[in-house]
Amino acid sequence: MPELADARLDDRAAAEVRSHIEGCPECQAEYAALRQTLAALDTLPTPTPSQRLRASVMGHIETEKLTLRNQADWAASIRTAARTAAPRREPWVRYLAQAVGLAALVVFGFVLGERTATQRQLADLRARVDTMGQLVEQSVLQKRTTGDRLETVLTAATERRPDERVIDGLINSMAFDPSVNVRLNALTALYAHADQEVVRAGVLACLPRETNPLVQVSMIDFLVAARAREASPELAKLTTDDKANADVRDSARRAIDLL
Amino acid sequence: MTCTAAEIPVQSPPRGVDWRPSPAVETLAPIPDHALMLAVRDGNLDCMGELFERHNGPLFGYLSKVTGNRAAAEDIAQTVFQRMLKYRHTYRDEGSFTAWMYHLARRCATDHFRRSSAAPVAVDPSDLEAHADQSQGADESAASRDDHALLHRALGRLDRDDREVLLLSRLQELSFAEVAGILECSVGAARVRAHRALRTLRDHYIQMQKEPLT
Repeated sequence: MPELADARLDDRAAAEVRSHIEGCPECQAEYAALRQTLAALDTLPTPTPSQRLRASVMGHIETEKLTLRNQADWAASIRTAARTAAPRREPWVRYLAQAVGLAALVVFGFVLGERTATQRQLADLRARVDTMGQLVEQSVLQKRTTGDRLETVLTAATERRPDERVIDGLINSMAFDPSVNVRLNALTALYAHADQEVVRAGVLACLPRETNPLVQVSMIDFLVAARAREASPELAKLTTDDKANADVRDSARRAIDLL
Repeated sequence: MTCTAAEIPVQSPPRGVDWRPSPAVETLAPIPDHALMLAVRDGNLDCMGELFERHNGPLFGYLSKVTGNRAAAEDIAQTVFQRMLKYRHTYRDEGSFTAWMYHLARRCATDHFRRSSAAPVAVDPSDLEAHADQSQGADESAASRDDHALLHRALGRLDRDDREVLLLSRLQELSFAEVAGILECSVGAARVRAHRALRTLRDHYIQMQKEPLT
């Protein structure tokens, strides 16, 4: 009877069961109760998730893409940049490839832009993260000193109303700069913009990549201050990560309680 | 015309961003989930965005009914998509994406409950208020909300295993073969568990309808 009520029987079997039910009052009552229960189950409202889920998952996808790029093209570009002894030929092929890549991104963004408003936001997020990746590449290629990079971050921190490019640059520095000092200052500068979804998603995406305990604890403090409840799963992972520093694990535990 | 994985350019170009289905395929039929996940496995991570768009709603709906808690459901859904990316290399050629996703969801939910060590509560009054059908008349809407609350309570009285099998087989419209794959049991066992869960739910639901309101 449950399979009949659930419409999972073939015609022949369904006819046989129906034929029995018609002559059996007890089964009629049971079948009616099953149908009523299933009907009620089918009409239960289906809640929809918040935008936080979307921002978090899309941020994670973009981070993973950056990681892949790190492992392939990006790592190759760093190795190329490190070869300073011999004069290098103009890497016009790479510039051409980047131009083609950018054109493809623009076309891709345009196609997405034709869709819903939500998807336009996603296209924007993707484009911004891709821009971030390119800035990283350029920053490394330019081989600016730590002092220069720190000065750039401190200057960006003093801007009252920074544009998206500045915010992206700060997230970029926090994520990829080899200097702990620069990463910490970039994070501090981002406190003023903790109300922006992309900033919170950026810090959350960087947390699992970060290896310095001092920066990790600062990122956890940031997420608590920003009331980033979506960070809970990532923090929970940290609490059980044996490789993480004990102070980091304690901070993650406290953060979960506070959030 | 059914679009099969063989017709889809699963082998992506080096840059994942550039992957797009051919116009002929896009206009005739949507890319199957399985083909998209194979593309993700092969390094085309943009396809994960499309899979998210298709499945975040049903997955969240399922998790919110299993846990009875929106916040927990959202946390678990987030973990599920993260694990899909992390464990994409384990996705099999002959797999069913939906079954794999719910298999991961079930494990994530188990981890969640183990961590929180809190029993799932299947009633969240704020959820019921927020998602009541506003298009109905006031009385009808109120009656409907009462009925939904009753069913939520009845679901809450089921074991989590029973609740899962019922929601997977009925609300997510999965076959018993897929449910069996998710629960890691035989097809016969999945069928028996689904029937038992439905009967138990019916008993609770009918009984609660007879109980006086408190």
